[in-house]
Amino acid sequence: MKCCFCTSVVAACILASGLVSVGALAQQEGTAPPPPPAYTHLAKGAPPVEDTPAQSAALAAWKAKAEQKSEEDRKAHNALVTPSYNFHYGKGNPYTPGNIKVQGEGFIQPGAFPTAEYCGTCHQEAYSQWREALHSNAFRTPFYRTSVNMLIRDPTRGIAFARHCDSCHNPIGVLGGALTEDSKVDRARFDSDGLTCATCHSVLSIDSTNGNSSVEMGVPSVIVDEKGNRIPGQVPFAQILRHPERHSQAVMHDFLRTPEFCAACHKANLPGPLNDYKFLRAFTAYDEWQQSKFSQRNPLTLYTADFTTCQGCHMKRAANALPDYGAKNGTFASHRWLAGNTAVPFYYGFDAQLKKTIDFLRAGNYLNVDILGLKKANSNDLIAPLGKVSYKLAPNDSVEAYVVVQNKNIGHSLIPEVRDLYEAWVEFTAKDSSGKELYHSGFLKPDGMLDPRAHSFTNRPVTDQGEFVDNHRVWTIHSVAYDNTVPAGRSVLVRYQFQLPADLNGEVTITAKVNYRHLRQSYLNNIFGKDHPAYPVVELASRSRTLKIGENEPEAADPADNADWMRWNNLGIALLDQFQYAEAVRAFTEVVKLRPTYADAYINIGLTEISWEKYGSARTAIRKALSLEPDNARAHYYDGLLQRRAGNTEQEIADFRKVVDLVPQSRDARRELGITYYQHNDNQAALEQFEALQKIDPDDLSAHYNLSILYRRMGKPKEAAKQQAMFVDKKVDPGAPTYSLDYLRVHPEISTESIPWHMHSDFEDNTGGRHNGK
Amino acid sequence: MANERMSLKETLCRTTLWMLAILLICVPAVGNAANKCPWINEATASGLLGGAADGLYTPAATGQPAACTFTEASGEVKRTLRITVEVAADPHAQLNAISQSCGPDVVPVKAIGNEAMVCAADGRKGSTAERIVGRVRDQVFTILIGTTLKNDPILDRYTLKTNVLTAAEQVSGNLF
Repeated sequence: MKCCFCTSVVAACILASGLVSVGALAQQEGTAPPPPPAYTHLAKGAPPVEDTPAQSAALAAWKAKAEQKSEEDRKAHNALVTPSYNFHYGKGNPYTPGNIKVQGEGFIQPGAFPTAEYCGTCHQEAYSQWREALHSNAFRTPFYRTSVNMLIRDPTRGIAFARHCDSCHNPIGVLGGALTEDSKVDRARFDSDGLTCATCHSVLSIDSTNGNSSVEMGVPSVIVDEKGNRIPGQVPFAQILRHPERHSQAVMHDFLRTPEFCAACHKANLPGPLNDYKFLRAFTAYDEWQQSKFSQRNPLTLYTADFTTCQGCHMKRAANALPDYGAKNGTFASHRWLAGNTAVPFYYGFDAQLKKTIDFLRAGNYLNVDILGLKKANSNDLIAPLGKVSYKLAPNDSVEAYVVVQNKNIGHSLIPEVRDLYEAWVEFTAKDSSGKELYHSGFLKPDGMLDPRAHSFTNRPVTDQGEFVDNHRVWTIHSVAYDNTVPAGRSVLVRYQFQLPADLNGEVTITAKVNYRHLRQSYLNNIFGKDHPAYPVVELASRSRTLKIGENEPEAADPADNADWMRWNNLGIALLDQFQYAEAVRAFTEVVKLRPTYADAYINIGLTEISWEKYGSARTAIRKALSLEPDNARAHYYDGLLQRRAGNTEQEIADFRKVVDLVPQSRDARRELGITYYQHNDNQAALEQFEALQKIDPDDLSAHYNLSILYRRMGKPKEAAKQQAMFVDKKVDPGAPTYSLDYLRVHPEISTESIPWHMHSDFEDNTGGRHNGK
Repeated sequence: MANERMSLKETLCRTTLWMLAILLICVPAVGNAANKCPWINEATASGLLGGAADGLYTPAATGQPAACTFTEASGEVKRTLRITVEVAADPHAQLNAISQSCGPDVVPVKAIGNEAMVCAADGRKGSTAERIVGRVRDQVFTILIGTTLKNDPILDRYTLKTNVLTAAEQVSGNLF
């Protein structure tokens, strides 16, 4: 049975279409696959079907045969692969620098993994979505191959190092021993499927939240016997359809629905064995989520929200269009994993995936763009919030626009993960009533490159020579020259300065947009050369305002606008992050005026004043917040810091204890409580906090440092040495900033962007350039 | 005595160097004869040809592209996968020129390299084959997969079409 489903789909794609697509090799868009084998769902609550003795015996016989075959195949595979395999990191570490592991002895044969087409026979909706999704294309896309090929071809590295990347992008290849110079493995069996059904659904446990594929893969199985023992390999569909509960037991694990499972790969570091340098955090969407309001694990978030997992946004249930026995009430958890990747569906011609990705990016109120206020030259008064106040403008006025971009409902940063490749930026225009451009920042040049002075939410990793790592050669990264991401829940203020023409007598429309594209133009050029089609640019959010010469009256709010208190609050948050403490306090004070019983407004004032080292007034603000909400964990946290400063140890402990009781997974409260206990020589209590902290964040430097000391004091030299080594490996290299400075010195446009409080202007700057690129 | 020892040492040293030199000359030749194909490995080629295939890699020479040829022979039937790669000054133009030899049945292929097209490449003596020509940046490649047996049950027309696409994805992926 070489999968009639797949065969018919491929044949239909190839024969019916004038344009052959590899993406369509097993894709079925527009083509109806044959119906799945007949199956009637059991009534809800009905007990599983009981096997007759003959059926049990038949299954037992099948299991024995399957186990024997699986073992024999694995031995034969290892005999073939092992002799020529490059054990670069020693015999005991065949998959290093990846963290992946597999059950049993030696490599596992790729044939042990049931094919996606096999699963797709009954899960047609899942299959069709997965085929167009990033997971199925995790390995084969040019966007990935170009990067990993550079690592393979690098004379100081080689294919063994690529196990670091492929552990997540092509786990069957890694576990099958295919990643070696003289590979004996038929790669056509798995390269095109990247993360196939049987990779995620064969994971038995999450090893840690360290990322880099920190999972233990089981020997793939799609069914268990009546005792719960896994039966390796594919089984006849009749077995599954007779015992769907046993199928579920084999392939569905509760952890699949948790963010920790996503963390296995959506958290990555660059370890010493890869870069011959030291541990560097590459990205961690997981930790960003953990620190966001959606995790409910961080009491210090600026806003609150219902608990939402990664799957809650990226695997939303929707009505299924194709038959799928995994559907519940006609809906199925999306296996498209819609997110930000527009390049892959664009390249493969997956139109449905592309459209849904763009719709996803534009939906959900993820971002808010607010043209919050104006400032005129020679005036310190902020005209804000725009739309609610009257003001006058005259020709020749020099105007400063305050644009606040709020990462409102993204459960991670804007933009997440590899922000050296992805690009989001603010495009700001001022146009007169005839449409003539008065000012433009964030434009695309004719060659597709972004205005170098645009406010972009990217970063610039650099080598030890201070050169931008343009090709994602991550093993050469030594520092990050700047990182303009907007963390979940926070806001950024972007300021634009332009002059109204002297002969202006009509209106000026100013527009701020947040655009996004996958990928940066120079990276696309690295992949394809310069003669490639333009890749999609998606407008994520925007806001326009009309400025009149003369009197401007208040106007009706747009339905998408934030409430006024939130507009001020976001401005305050942005100003705080740009170290403009006095203005931040003024903004938060406006929030207090509009919402006098909103405890967080006082906490924000207190937080700002702590940063400003104005502890007296900070204490007043925090006390006010606690009087409004005595159990406010955030207020208790900052009160704890203030009590420490005042030397009130008992109250300090009580505050941090309270936060830990209210939010046990608060890494900040655990850290501070541990420090408090440590400072007061309560070693055991300190140890408990740092160990708990390390379970939440295995990379916390404070935990490594303090645990190394505490273990030594407690006579545990081995544990102490381990923590000390991790601290030394993970702490920032004090020489690294010099690499960043080397880069910034020769890139004044980026140097300006790396300063939190900076202006985008059409006036000439001191480098002789004009910020609008003209 | 000391001079004799020196002389013996020198002789041994020279002999060793000669042996190393001979080895260095021989190793690449043996490697080429075995399989050093940079774009697809022998196991994958064997899978595409339906049996154990032998590979031969020929590096580029003046006027000649680099080539990998994998052959699987079962009795009188010979199944072949041949890949050529060359760097072109005007890759797009060269690709178009090559595609002219495809005849009228050229079908553009999406998502292989920068651009690619597939065409039937049947021989005169009843052999059947499928061919893809394409490019990754300035590297122009051709891939031909064929069998000498008409109505080959292992490499029927459908399998040829599928396998040539799979081969193209492997080759272009390694060229990126």
